[in-house]
Order: sequence, then C-alpha cells, then structure tokens
Amino acid sequence: MSTSADLVRLVYVSRNLVPPAEAEAAVQAILGASRRRNPAMGVTGALLFSEDCFAQSLEGPLPAVEALFEHIQMDARHDQVVLLEAGPISRRDFGDWSMAFAGHCSDAALCFEALVATPSESSSRVLDVLRGAVGRAKRVLA
Amino acid sequence: MPTDALTGLVDRSAFRTRLETALAEWKPDTSGPAVLMVDLDRFKAVNDSLGHPAGDALLRIAAKRLRAAVRGTDLAARLGGDEFAVLLTAPVSPDAAAMVAARLVDLLARPYLVQGQAASVGASVGLAFAEPDCTTADALIGRADMAMYQAKGDGRGRVGFFSAALQQRADLRRQTEQELRAALPLGQLELFYQPQYDLNVGQLSGFEALLRWRHPLRGLVPPDDFIPIAEEIRLISSLGEWVLRTACAEAARWPGAMTVAVNVAAQQFESGRLVGIVEAALEAAGLPGPRLELEITESSLLNDPGGIVTTQLTALKAMGVAISLDDFGTGYSSLSQLRSFPFDRVKIDRSFVNDHAVVRAITAMGTSMGIRTTAEGVETAAQLENVRREGCHEVQGYLLGRPLPASAIPETIARLVGGTDLLKEDT
Repeated sequence: MSTSADLVRLVYVSRNLVPPAEAEAAVQAILGASRRRNPAMGVTGALLFSEDCFAQSLEGPLPAVEALFEHIQMDARHDQVVLLEAGPISRRDFGDWSMAFAGHCSDAALCFEALVATPSESSSRVLDVLRGAVGRAKRVLA
Repeated sequence: MPTDALTGLVDRSAFRTRLETALAEWKPDTSGPAVLMVDLDRFKAVNDSLGHPAGDALLRIAAKRLRAAVRGTDLAARLGGDEFAVLLTAPVSPDAAAMVAARLVDLLARPYLVQGQAASVGASVGLAFAEPDCTTADALIGRADMAMYQAKGDGRGRVGFFSAALQQRADLRRQTEQELRAALPLGQLELFYQPQYDLNVGQLSGFEALLRWRHPLRGLVPPDDFIPIAEEIRLISSLGEWVLRTACAEAARWPGAMTVAVNVAAQQFESGRLVGIVEAALEAAGLPGPRLELEITESSLLNDPGGIVTTQLTALKAMGVAISLDDFGTGYSSLSQLRSFPFDRVKIDRSFVNDHAVVRAITAMGTSMGIRTTAEGVETAAQLENVRREGCHEVQGYLLGRPLPASAIPETIARLVGGTDLLKEDT
C-alpha cells in the first residue's frame, strides 16, 4: 500500500440501526463488501461494532476516502453519522487490512452517546480500541 | 434537457417544462404529482469558512444524495444557489411524499466530507401536491416554496406542508404588507402616549410615544401585529422618521417640560442619517434636545460593526438627547452592553415586574453605574410598591395610565401635575 503524501484518515461513529438478531449477518455483509471494494480504491481501515454504534476508521487517498465515506453515509443500516476526525496522516494504521474487524464491543465508554459527547477525545479512544483489537488479532494470526 | 453544469441535475427551466408536462398528463382522480422545494440551511457558512470550491463540492454531493433518495421516475433539479427541487411523479401518496421529504431532510443534514474537511448543512423542505385549483407549474412551485419557508420559519431542518391555512396566512400577510406601505401616506398612523412617573419626586415626568395603526376595516392594529412586519419589509425607518417628527411636534405643544420618549429600531441606525433626522425634528418642533429621549433595544447594539450605532448615539447625546436601553432583561442583558455606551436609563422589561430579585439586581447595577431605571408594565398597587422598594427611579404601566391619544395629553398633564394619589407614600 502506498504511503503517499495525500494519505488521509477519517474516523466516524454512527448509531447502529441493525436489530440485534440481524447484527451478525449485517457485519459480515459490511466486511464482505469492504474487502471486495476497498483494495481497488487503495482504502484500508478497521470497523468496530457495538450494541448501539458503529465506529470506523478509513485511510487512503483523499478522493477515494471521500467517495467511500459518501457511500457509507447513505447506508440505511445506520444514522447520526458523526465525523470524529478527518485529516492527513503520514502512515496507515491498518495497512494490512482492507477492513479489519475489531469485533463487538461492550465497553460502556464506547456507546454512541458517550462518543459523540466528546468528539475530540473520542477519535483517539476509538483508534486505540481499533489498534488494540487489530494488534491482538495480528499476534494470534502470526 | 438543459442541465446544471455544477451538479448535472436538470436546471430550473427544464424542471418547469417537465412539471408542466406532468401536470398536463395528470388525471385529478390520482394523487400527485407533487413538488418538493429543498433549501439548504447554513450553506453560506460553508462557503464563507471553507471557500467556494468546497461549497461547490458540497452542492455536488448534496445533488447525488437528492438523486439517490428519489425514484427513477422522479426528477431532481437544482434551481440555483443552494436551492433544489424534486418532482414526484403521479401516482404518489401523501404519505409516500412525506416520507421522501423527511428522508431528504435526514440525508442532506448528514456530514459532508469536502476537500478533506468536514462540513455540515441542514435542509428545509416544502411539499405541495397538484390540486384542481393548482394545475400550473408556477402555482405548484409557489405552494411548495411557501411550505418550505414555513419549514424555515418553524426552525429549519424539517418538512413544511402546504395547506389552505398556510395560503390564507400568506395572503393576509401580503395584504397587510401592502396596506402597511400605504398607511403613512393615507394618514392611518397616529401616536399614543403613555405616562411615565418619577418615583423620587412623585410626579409625572413624561410620556412614551407609541405607534398605532388605525386600519379602516380592522380598527386599531396592535403594534405587535405590524411593527415586526414593518421591520421585515424595511419600512420601519420611514415610519420611525415620521414618529420622531410627530412626537417632537406634539411634545413641543405640551405645557411644562415633559419629556417624550421615542422608540428607535435597529434599522434606523443603518443609513447613518439618524442624527440629522433627530436634529431636524427637534428644530422643526422647537423642542429642546433634553426633552427628547430615544429608546433603543439591545438588538441594535448586538450587531454594531465599526461602532456605527455608538457613534450616532454619542452625537445624539451631545445634543442633550437622553438615551435609554429598552426591554432590558429579555435579550442578552450583558454588562458589556451596559458599558458599551453611557446610557441615561435602563427600562426593565414588563415580564420582570413581579420578579423582586431581577428588579433589585438591575436597579442596583444601574445605580452603581449612574444609570436610572424604569419599571415597565406596572399594573397593580403591589407591583408599584415592590419596584419602589427595590429602588426603581421611574414607573410606567396601566396602573398609572394607559396610552392615550395625543389630543388627551395636554388635559392629562394639567390634571396630573402636582402628583397622583397613587404615588403618595403610605404614611
């Protein structure tokens, strides 16, 4: 994956509208679509899923991230999308992953209300959780 | 079909043409077609803060969201600026149309990523259906527009629905506007005067001039029903100039040295001509400057770039005219505003007449800053006693006198000079 100068990262949270019974299938569908679509766009990232929210980090060239974010926006499986961070980065956190799944999270601090209450801190909190989960997965797979 | 170069949606003329066709094909026993007028809220802020290229990028994304939210048979258009429209072709049920409208409000308010930066706007949407009495493109667009403005007026970020009641209100409003423009030339405006009393000396001290509109059919129109309209259609400055001239002329004929207080709207400061107008009014009437008091509201000072308001107030004060801050307590009521100009008086809004703590606080603040306080809206003896105890300098209200026509003032002054029993302290 390139680490060109126009690399940007975007972190958002949104309110999860998927009924719990359909959650597993929805997550698989989202990850499947991401893994099919993202490599060609040069986009990598990680997804976190909790009872009431999605949190996702997208990284890649600006036009691709913009287009992908706009596509995600329109997805009926969530609403109240809140951008926590959007800006240039020097290197990718999830360069090996078209879309890493950081799993289901039951941490109360990662509920939608808490995350959107303090967006400036939430971005690093979400990224920490995503990095931690993906790091553990890497060690398991290694 | 002519398209809008920026977004690729059809443009206004193509939209009208397609709508005319849809209306011509419409069979009145089916529901629809309908028009949604979509106006972005706070779009100007995006242009101002992120630049026009970012604004254009946002409009392109908004256009895509719009197109994605409607059926293939519907038609989305950009009418210009940040104004869009959707033609919902027949058949479309009222419920389905309302759902599309609500979905647009939701989708367009979602965050935008433009040139790597987050931006957000909202959307106000107006919905109107073709009806047997509304079968032309212009009429239907007009109704959807009216509904959209209703949505904006109700707080933005929502859907407004056209209704007969909405049409009636708009018609009445338009009629009122036209009649109000003619009210001054037709001599339908007059001033009433409400007495103001000095509590220290227990005497009548002056009157506040209040504008009344004697409508040929509606009778006396309350100020709340026409002053805001006069401000909106920017008629208030010419009305205000007439009020100044009339109040000065009438006050000059009063016996004694009674003051006259005149309300001045924020717009009257904009042209920079107020000082000259006041000077001319005083001179024409032969009224000394100190007998005139101008009442301004906090909103006049809120937006005072370059200090144009304070400059004019300073010049007026130099002519001996007293300046008071009206309706205090209802707006920002900030200390910095009280300090922004050496006011002669603060008028405590009528809504606080029963609130001892607020009256006490404002009076104490005024006293320590050398500003006199007037309590407005005093209607009972108990309220009078309260504001007197809290240290207010003047009072005004129905208890001491309702607004009276100009013709009644000389007689009122003659009767009241020497004091009124109401103001005698209980001993």
